[in-house]
Amino acid sequence: MQYHELNSQVPVKVDGFYQLNKDQEALESYLEYVEGKTLRFNSIIEKLTWLTENHYYVNFFSMYSYDVIEKIYNLILSYKFSFPSFMSAFKFYNDYALKSMDGELFLENYNDRVLSIALYLGEGNAQVAERIACVLVRQLYQPATPTFLNAGKYHRGELVSCFLLSMEDSLNSITDTVSTAMQLSKIGGGLAVSLSNLRAKSEPIRLIKNVAKGVVPVMKLLEDSFNYVDQMGQRKGAGAAYLNIFHRDIVEFLDTKKINADEKSRIQTLSIGVVIPDKFFELVRENKPMYVFYPYSVQKALGQQFDDIDITAMYDEMVQHPDIDKEEVNPRTLLLQIAKIQFESGYPYLIYIDNANRANPLKNLSRIRMSNLCTEIFQVQKTSYISDDHQEDEIGYDVSCVLGSLNLVNLMDSIQRGESLEEIIFSAMTALTRVTDKSNIKNARSIRRANSMFHSVGLGVMNLQGFFVRNFMGYGSREAIEFCDIFFMMLNYYSIMASSRIAKEKGESFHGFSDSDYKNGTYFDQYIHREFIPETEKVKKIFENVKLPSQTDWMALRTFVLEHGMYHAYRLSIAPTQSISYVQNSTPSVMPIMDHIESRTYGNSTTYYPAPYLNAQNFITYQLAHNVDMYSLIDLMAVIQKHVDQGISTTLFIDSNTSTKELMKYYIYAHKVGLKSLYYTRTKNLSIEECAVCAV
Amino acid sequence: MKAINWNDVGELDKLFWDQNVRQFWVDEEIPLSNDKLVWDKKLNPDEKTAYQKVLGGLTFLDTQQASLGMPLVALHVNNPYAKSVLNFMGMMEHMHAKSYSSIFMTLCSTEEINDLFGWVDRDKFLAEKTELIVSYYKSINDEKSLYLAMVCSVMLETFLFYSGFFYPLYLAGKGMMVNSGEIINLIIRDESIHGVYVGLQAQELFGTFSPSLQSQMANQAQAVFKLLFDLELEYTQSIYDKIGLRESVVNFVKYNANKAFANCGLDLPFSDLKDADINPIVLMGLNTKTKTHDFFSTKGNGYVKAMRVEELTDEDFL
Repeated sequence: MQYHELNSQVPVKVDGFYQLNKDQEALESYLEYVEGKTLRFNSIIEKLTWLTENHYYVNFFSMYSYDVIEKIYNLILSYKFSFPSFMSAFKFYNDYALKSMDGELFLENYNDRVLSIALYLGEGNAQVAERIACVLVRQLYQPATPTFLNAGKYHRGELVSCFLLSMEDSLNSITDTVSTAMQLSKIGGGLAVSLSNLRAKSEPIRLIKNVAKGVVPVMKLLEDSFNYVDQMGQRKGAGAAYLNIFHRDIVEFLDTKKINADEKSRIQTLSIGVVIPDKFFELVRENKPMYVFYPYSVQKALGQQFDDIDITAMYDEMVQHPDIDKEEVNPRTLLLQIAKIQFESGYPYLIYIDNANRANPLKNLSRIRMSNLCTEIFQVQKTSYISDDHQEDEIGYDVSCVLGSLNLVNLMDSIQRGESLEEIIFSAMTALTRVTDKSNIKNARSIRRANSMFHSVGLGVMNLQGFFVRNFMGYGSREAIEFCDIFFMMLNYYSIMASSRIAKEKGESFHGFSDSDYKNGTYFDQYIHREFIPETEKVKKIFENVKLPSQTDWMALRTFVLEHGMYHAYRLSIAPTQSISYVQNSTPSVMPIMDHIESRTYGNSTTYYPAPYLNAQNFITYQLAHNVDMYSLIDLMAVIQKHVDQGISTTLFIDSNTSTKELMKYYIYAHKVGLKSLYYTRTKNLSIEECAVCAV
Repeated sequence: MKAINWNDVGELDKLFWDQNVRQFWVDEEIPLSNDKLVWDKKLNPDEKTAYQKVLGGLTFLDTQQASLGMPLVALHVNNPYAKSVLNFMGMMEHMHAKSYSSIFMTLCSTEEINDLFGWVDRDKFLAEKTELIVSYYKSINDEKSLYLAMVCSVMLETFLFYSGFFYPLYLAGKGMMVNSGEIINLIIRDESIHGVYVGLQAQELFGTFSPSLQSQMANQAQAVFKLLFDLELEYTQSIYDKIGLRESVVNFVKYNANKAFANCGLDLPFSDLKDADINPIVLMGLNTKTKTHDFFSTKGNGYVKAMRVEELTDEDFL
């Protein structure tokens, strides 16, 4: 039987339980199929020679000797990698492995891909290449898709995942942004754009009143650009548009996602996000009228672009100002509108911008205005000024971000056996740093500039629920909170250490370090005033053989950083791992799974994927996202957030019976406990049987 | 007719009304152009022809159901809430018929589309199937004929549609034409509640018949089914033989015939058929449970209209 049929049998129950054994059979059948379509070579050197000569790989022989390459390859082979599940192999060969130009033959297996990434990022340094190879082949660290897919290939897209652009209120800036968006789509990044600076519908252009078209037509332009540039049909560009909730066009902006929006204003594939300052929640709580502003009039009255304004601080003044045009709306109705649209579409993302700015270690340098396509990136930006003939352009700085994730289960296994967490995280940070250093995006000037100034990366974590299941813990338990508080404290500690070690080695810190909270020491306050020691038996046992950084260690780290600086302006962010967590057979990022057997529509395939570590014994206790209490999910994210300098992609899970009021209370709660963002809301449509059960 | 008072609606009608409203969708929600590359590069001419024909056939059946089936059944039922639900369902049938055209427009040239609709007009199996069903819709004049029309409606929605659904489900399960597959999944999500609801209406009516009339009606239902099934076998052969899927489709058609009879509360015609006889890819594709999806490439079938709209009050801030 073919692997597709075998895989489809997994969810069909026999004797009351899924046929999990079919997954293994599907894996074997699939690997047999792959075997038959793989081009063979006698040795790794012969293979690399062929791949280089035929322009599949860059020339590694100019960087390493045969002996070194063979030694690294043998090291990789010594770990005896095997695919943990059908999905893992299927995803790897379908989406990542190098194929012949005609798409007929596989040219790489997992070990080869690891070798290619390690050699490429090592740039001739055998020790670095070995270090990276070791964390990759053991599935301790997983680079994000762009790096995992592209590193070492001759024809390739970018290694960077994610870009953010801010736009100025001028046609020059709009066309420049659209053009950059297309260029970035070409190389495969996800792009977020802030539209908050654009003048609202009906504002004047030059002196003619009532002519500006507002933000929606610009969204259309962006959407069409992303659809047009699709990496030769492999993947369409992905983009998000952000708007401040106090921008006058907010209602039209939200309506683009309504099911029955009219065709001219419907936005199908562009994601949307709303930037929400504290002031909004204050007005919601007090049930006072709210004013939305016309940005062009704000710019003229205050001399500042909308994105640069701290609305919470300036709101009263803006309301009073005679030259600022505004409109009254009911904030509770607006929030209800957001909740209803989330039911219908999962959008918009919510960005709690004041929470992000309060916790920003670079707050003395500039403001954070927005987030990225997956709402885990929070970095400072400065808008560029684009002149008519580009002679006098003033390029600000935007954001590019290099992502990767640690596999928590494999990582904890290793450190419980006595391996050094410091070294594993140092390896991961080294791999990420190599990517930022190599990246040089010519077509996006503000992004190239930011990258050379800030070297920002985003190290995250996947398989949190997998770890919970293996240790019989769950969302909402005291143990889960305690474990995360300690683990993410350690992640923060060792990533700062790594960044500082790298700064020392390179003799270079990120731009603005001297104005940062790292330099003035306030960043370390929460660790110097409190000791992190496990109290519950379970968590004590988990960290039994692990040395936890103490207050003294933190003080020493503060001194080390003060002396040597840090290489990365931003280090940590918890991205929503998707494809890569399938390859790792992991639960996605820090979120709970949706189903014990997931039926997955992923652009090019429908597959059935049994949850990692699922068996007949843990089936009952394996929590599903739609059954997890959302308040305890938010609480856990708040604990993690304290230790993460950027953000966490936090998804809410509701069903068609959830009331809009409940959903709005989640928004308010998440804001209150300090989350920086909420990503999608995933709605589960209850079937008529499930509804009938509630109705009875 | 008296004004409908929704304060008196029965639980069942309310349940189905809500479910229908909640899962309302429009075809423009689903971006289809991602399928274009698969269509151009991965499918051979025979496979393309089969795909076009099954969707053409479905368009024809949905048109009948939207313009005749649902409105005529609705016209003749007495329960005013059932009329509302049935008309809502009829409106969605129009949406289904239209959404096939969205798929054609994305994938095919105008000339190809015209050829296809020409085939739909000429195909004798399609014509015979619909003539038979429509004759029951058009001859409703008492409770017996209403019952048979309801049974025909269930046959159409729970059984006859599925020879057409087979191929899109099969391809989507193999990672091809996934976006069109998403539309088909939304249609199946609708058809499954349509079949259940009309089936329940039929059962209710059936319960009011005398035992002798009941057995007479059950026999008539079997007789209609026999005619439809024979036509379906020939139709299936004419479309699926060339791409080697006939046998799998026939099993799938039987599987759904069983479902149609179960909806009407009648004895199953193929009671020895097992789930294991059905192609597992297509069987799992029938599942309309909310699927996990990647937002960047597909929309997913979980999103619905918010039904419990409640505003915040001051107490929510305590």
